[in-house]
Amino acid sequence: MTDTFAMTPPPVLGLYDRKMWDHIKNKDLRLQCCLDCGTTQYPPAPGCAKCLSVNLQWKPISGLAKIISWAKFHKQYLPAYPAPYNVIAVRLQEGPVLISNLEGDSPSGSWINADVYLVYVTMPDGVILPRFRLAEES
Amino acid sequence: MNTQRTQAASSGLRRAAAVVGVGNSDWTGDWHRTRNGEQPSDSYGYGLAALNRALADAGIHRDEVDGLIVGPTTAYERCGEVLGINPRWGDQADAVKSVIKACSAIQSGLASVVALVYGNDQRSAGIQYGGPAAMGGDAFLSYVYHAPWGLTSQGALYALTFQSYKEARGMTEKELGEVAVAQRHWASLNDQAIMRKRITLDDYMNAQYICEPLRLYDYCMINDGGVALIIVDADRAKKMRKDPVYIEAVGRSDLNRGATSLEPRLIDFYLPAQKEAAAQLFNMAAIEPKDVDIFQVYDSFSVHIPLALEGYGYCPVGDAGKFLREQKMGPGGKLPINTSGGHLSESYMQGWNHQIESVRQLRGECGQRQIENCRYVHYSSDVAGNAVSILYSK
Repeated sequence: MTDTFAMTPPPVLGLYDRKMWDHIKNKDLRLQCCLDCGTTQYPPAPGCAKCLSVNLQWKPISGLAKIISWAKFHKQYLPAYPAPYNVIAVRLQEGPVLISNLEGDSPSGSWINADVYLVYVTMPDGVILPRFRLAEES
Repeated sequence: MNTQRTQAASSGLRRAAAVVGVGNSDWTGDWHRTRNGEQPSDSYGYGLAALNRALADAGIHRDEVDGLIVGPTTAYERCGEVLGINPRWGDQADAVKSVIKACSAIQSGLASVVALVYGNDQRSAGIQYGGPAAMGGDAFLSYVYHAPWGLTSQGALYALTFQSYKEARGMTEKELGEVAVAQRHWASLNDQAIMRKRITLDDYMNAQYICEPLRLYDYCMINDGGVALIIVDADRAKKMRKDPVYIEAVGRSDLNRGATSLEPRLIDFYLPAQKEAAAQLFNMAAIEPKDVDIFQVYDSFSVHIPLALEGYGYCPVGDAGKFLREQKMGPGGKLPINTSGGHLSESYMQGWNHQIESVRQLRGECGQRQIENCRYVHYSSDVAGNAVSILYSK
């Protein structure tokens, strides 16, 4: 019997997304930073939505973020995601909001405003995903 | 708020056009038939059934129609072909935008009798609003962009919205439950509603979470059906068999910045857009929220209601939970909301059933659920951060 595993739902791969996913494969998530106004943006785009400049550079990020919302799925929609599982929205220190999952321990009370940091998880089919873990309580 | 934009609201549309005919397919009958595995019709057929009733309601013949707008779930050309309509003007849009487009076309002289036709076989065709082939992903990147992390369900977008909202505004899950309970109460008074069995707050709280913090009753149903409206210019409307229902005012404001990463939902709760749309609408009509008799809110999920209550000024920001608990939106409440039962309990016609309910209330055709002396009905839709509103009046 061969091992079977569900495929990770594929990402949207527009022209500007591909570069980001190439970086993710190397466990080195980078985001576009505007060389004219300094804004970091997500998802990737042909120009800076803040100032319309097209001078963008892929820059490494700190990986530090705060949870701004979360939800727990009690129903399964996707083969790779049996319920229950969580989805979080985090605001990166650099500004953009990302949707991801919280790995490991959950906050004891409300998840909102919890400090988290970026980790890379290898899915059963080999896809590498950026996710987050709860920061140590100070 | 942008004052210039608010003042620039197109007041030329005020009472330029009126709804003179409404119709819908047999929602309850088709619900039972589809539950039994039958396919009573397809999207075009449901649109046809609704159009025939709307034409009869207006007392006009199909060949008088010179403008056609079809909903997003049917192809424009094929819909026109099935309905046998060769218009001199046509378009395709969702419910609220269709009504505004019809008024614009009439006011500018591009058309004089516009048929708006929506049909959707979403139940019998097994349309997925969550999962790998999520509907709407081609129009809204946020519906599919986060799939690698397991987020494709539209309910989950509203679960995330309500989670941050309830913390920011101090609203409870039980207070949100007031929405589903009230709408089911309205539906119990509506023999066209699919879900008519009343529920209590305990039933609501005891139902399972689908995507926490949202429970079963926070979600709309998925059913087959169609809706049609006939909109004509104000002069012609006065000569029709039933009293016209005018489009008194409109308002719109969109939040596109940060839409894919859900910022308008999770951080703004659509508030800036709704406030601007409200200012346009109420300025154009020269009335205030307290003058509105019925509020109809697009309700794919219950969460839309508290957001709209605050956004359109029916209660102070932060008071929606208290408003729902104390003032009430159900029969006998201070502000009747979604008097047909809405998407949660009547029929999920993607905003189209709210339009015909608004018309029927203003005509006084709503039987047990009729609001007495109804003069103004406000419809609001905030799908994906497009806050769009219509004020209907006699």
